Amino acid sequence: MQATKSFEQAFLRHLLRGFRLSAVSYKSMSLQERKSAIKLSADVAMASARGSRKWTRGLITKLSREDEHRSFLRLILGTEYGRLTKPRHGSWKIPRSKKIVRRSLRVCSRRKNNLRAPHGVKSGVLARTLVEKRTHALKRLVPGGESLDGCSLLDEALDYVISLRAQVDLMQKLLTTFEAPKLRALSKCTLPERKASFVGK
Amino acid sequence: MSSRRSRISEEEIAELLSKLQSLLPEARRRGASRASAAKLLKETCNYIRSLHREVDDLSDRLSEMMATMDLDSAQAEIIRSLFRP
Repeated sequence: MQATKSFEQAFLRHLLRGFRLSAVSYKSMSLQERKSAIKLSADVAMASARGSRKWTRGLITKLSREDEHRSFLRLILGTEYGRLTKPRHGSWKIPRSKKIVRRSLRVCSRRKNNLRAPHGVKSGVLARTLVEKRTHALKRLVPGGESLDGCSLLDEALDYVISLRAQVDLMQKLLTTFEAPKLRALSKCTLPERKASFVGK
Repeated sequence: MSSRRSRISEEEIAELLSKLQSLLPEARRRGASRASAAKLLKETCNYIRSLHREVDDLSDRLSEMMATMDLDSAQAEIIRSLFRP
């Protein structure tokens, strides 16, 4: 399973646009500042390219909690910003009755336990606690995961992992492309005034 | 009606878990032996953390790269080379 080609293209478009908006390539800033701007662009690009999912909204909300990120987010997301950070009531999934949801969640947790080889009652209790503990850890790692349960959490985690992998792959490709000798030659054709603005690393 | 619903959920869970397993690096090395839910959750958490670290590292390296290059002049070339099949 991997991200679609259209996701990859959208990611790169958003990423490069983010770089332009935060002026990472020509504004003089510290290495740390540049790195934070790049990382922010990369995360926003990933969320934008993916579209509306629980984790993408969770990610944008998380990023917007930092004051210094907010102006960039408003700039790059435009009208999307308000929509993505608005708290949502209810999932985009077809709503089920509470009874059925509760039953399926019970099945989910029972199924989780059935997946391991049976060892006896004591290890059953331990395994359930372990699954609970690790589910909580996963909830904290997947953006927006705190409000999710069972199937939804796994579903979002799956989608998030696929997107993260694509993010890593594409950033790696970008880095490789920057490092290519042909490009380095191109990059040296900068205007004298611009070159002067880089006061070393 | 109700039993049909819970069967669908079980299948959904099993499918999600097996999809997760196929994504994780370890599964690809060792083959498709089924792992416990606890193990899968742990591996998924570890994998997400390692992906986060990779993004962090790549951001560092891109930052160093950009300190010494003009993005605008190279941009067209970058886009072209990245989208080449």
